[in-house]
Amino acid sequence: MKRIAVVNYGIGNLKSISNALSHLEQDFSFVESQENLSEYSHIILPGVGSYKVGMNLLRRKKFDSAILAEVNKGKPLLGICLGMQMLANRSSEDGETKGLALINAEVDIFSKNEVGGLKIPHVGFDTIRPISKTGIFAGFKDQVDFYFTHSYRVLCSNKSEIASESTYGIKYVSAFCKDNIIGTQFHPEKSQKNGLRLLKNFTNYC
Amino acid sequence: MHKKRLIFTLLFKDNSFYLSRNFRLQKIGNINWLSKNYNFSTIGSSIDELIILNVGVEQDLEEFIDAVNEISKHCFAPIALGGGIRSLKDAEYLFSNGADKIVINSILETDQRLVSDIISKYGSQSVIASIDYKVNDKKSEVPFIFNGKRAVDYLLKDYMHKIISMNVGEIYLNSIDRDGTGNGYDFDTVENLITDVEIPVILAGGAGNPNHLLEGLSKANIDAASTANLLNFVGDGLPKARNYLLEMDVPLADWRDDADV
Repeated sequence: MKRIAVVNYGIGNLKSISNALSHLEQDFSFVESQENLSEYSHIILPGVGSYKVGMNLLRRKKFDSAILAEVNKGKPLLGICLGMQMLANRSSEDGETKGLALINAEVDIFSKNEVGGLKIPHVGFDTIRPISKTGIFAGFKDQVDFYFTHSYRVLCSNKSEIASESTYGIKYVSAFCKDNIIGTQFHPEKSQKNGLRLLKNFTNYC
Repeated sequence: MHKKRLIFTLLFKDNSFYLSRNFRLQKIGNINWLSKNYNFSTIGSSIDELIILNVGVEQDLEEFIDAVNEISKHCFAPIALGGGIRSLKDAEYLFSNGADKIVINSILETDQRLVSDIISKYGSQSVIASIDYKVNDKKSEVPFIFNGKRAVDYLLKDYMHKIISMNVGEIYLNSIDRDGTGNGYDFDTVENLITDVEIPVILAGGAGNPNHLLEGLSKANIDAASTANLLNFVGDGLPKARNYLLEMDVPLADWRDDADV
């Protein structure tokens, strides 16, 4: 029985996720208390906004240790945007902040230099190139458009954990996957049919 | 390659949707009218973003959110909400009720502390700064706040740069003179204005047909073109406009071949 927990730690817009999951007729709930996470088969960690605020809220509600425990049991976890970034070791947003360290990666801002005159934040639909068409990317084309809105991006230490790449002046990681730990820099819940497909894949194939 | 955006803006007040012409509002229809004339499960996949602004002076946020919910159920694109945000609580209410981003205007002039509080909580990328302006008789460009009712004592260029330095994520530039006219965007003002702007610029005010959108999206430093013309794009107007823009090689996301999920 597949049941999705959408972690509600007090930040970000959850409406678009609930609209998307309802459209897909998925069984899901917003989980506000970490004790309840164990009742679910899949976890989505959404997020927009500041890394520091996000991590502080996760810690205050003890979601950090609860997520770690569930992931260690092999439960699939999907981090979206800030939710993806918080799975990394650290971010330099708003001063140094430690992340959940579920994946060996760092989060830093795009430098003006590397994006070569493009604007920061990076906003809008942009192309991703899945490395392998399995898991969340099952059934996708070589190049797919998803919605992004971010100034910071994830740098993976292990190339093998990169699930998709994109280019914004410079090549960067638009999704990673380390066993059951998945993160997307883009917002599948705001990415039209491709996003719906990805969310469906997450519950079906992960 | 970086992609541009096509944005549809809806104006909401007293349970109805409005057409604005030079900032004078004309009631067009309620949510049933909107659903009948704009099928959001198809319109949603022809725009990159939806902006819904609460333009009533007497704000009823709950009524506004009810209408937003009705639309967003079938629209899997980012949604920005705004209009009358006067406190962090207002912003929080919108963010927790369907806003991926918020659009702010008057507080950019009247309450910069609040702008900074919103940005520290939700991040720059979640905040669109909307600037309404008019060109006066002396050919100088004057920014306005409070739905175009109060002039700001700055030249448009200085005002815009002051706002950019507050760390907002995007700029939404709206010409009051062109608003709702369907005569096309105000490039005379905008082109010089934005040459050195380093955050995304959304152009609004005046688009009445797909060619106007094409003109806007063809300009180098313009990232998004918006239309709030509720009558000119009814039915399949927006899907047709997007197809036209794609055929004209505008770099937009292309979802035409994607199967239903």
